[in-house]
Amino acid sequence: MRKSQRKKRRSVPVPIASMGDIAFLLIIFFLVCSEVSKDKANVRVTLPESEKVEKMEATVVARIAVSEDGEIYFDGVRVDGAKDVEWGVRALLTNTVTDDQRHVQFKCDANLPKETFEPVLKAIAEAGGIIEAVGEKTN
Amino acid sequence: MFKKRKQGRTKKHRKGDIPTGSFSDIAFLLIIYFLVATTLVKVKSITADLPAGEKSNQTQSEKTPVIRLSTNGIRFNDKDVDVELLNERLAALELLEKEESKRTIMLESEKGTPYDLYFQAFAAISSNGGLVALVEEE
Repeated sequence: MRKSQRKKRRSVPVPIASMGDIAFLLIIFFLVCSEVSKDKANVRVTLPESEKVEKMEATVVARIAVSEDGEIYFDGVRVDGAKDVEWGVRALLTNTVTDDQRHVQFKCDANLPKETFEPVLKAIAEAGGIIEAVGEKTN
Repeated sequence: MFKKRKQGRTKKHRKGDIPTGSFSDIAFLLIIYFLVATTLVKVKSITADLPAGEKSNQTQSEKTPVIRLSTNGIRFNDKDVDVELLNERLAALELLEKEESKRTIMLESEKGTPYDLYFQAFAAISSNGGLVALVEEE
């Protein structure tokens, strides 16, 4: 009777054999799913410098860049002119509700003349975007 | 003697098991390393909410500050200034304490003005709480 009351303590091994597989699957999953930033498009730009630049906190809906040879890029894709930028931004902002969703990143070569970049700035403004002009902090 | 030599030459075939026990540790260490070491890319920028709209024929109020940019430099209300002085002048306006409609700064520029100068003006205006209004050429 006494013998039957005693509980048998079994050692319960945690199955860890598959842990390595799980970990590697996680790594592979993130490697496959992660996307390289669109910001890294092959656009050659010398950024202007200022003491006033701050780390950008806003989430941008689009990234516009004007390269050193004056070519305009919309999210890394070359477009023909400022009008394309306006239509593109306008299309992206059709369903926006708050101001937080209107930020557009603008990157432009520091040496470009007004005639090249100003139409793009105006196009973004016309489409309703808030410009986030990218620059570097002065050392 | 001969026999002993022959025995010494024979290779021992060992079982070559690759130790896989620590694989999970290595993998998790890699994950933790990348989680800790990676930083999200954050670009530095200046925010400028340019008002959109048609060009107005109305004469501009004398009180609205005007920044004129040219290849020669910056002019604030028709006076030559450098970036530092521009910042001081804009700070003196105390734009942040004014209502939104009175925080507008007109930004005019000549042909050939480089973006670098534009950026400096943008930076000065937005850091002092101003709203940029681009002035179109006639």
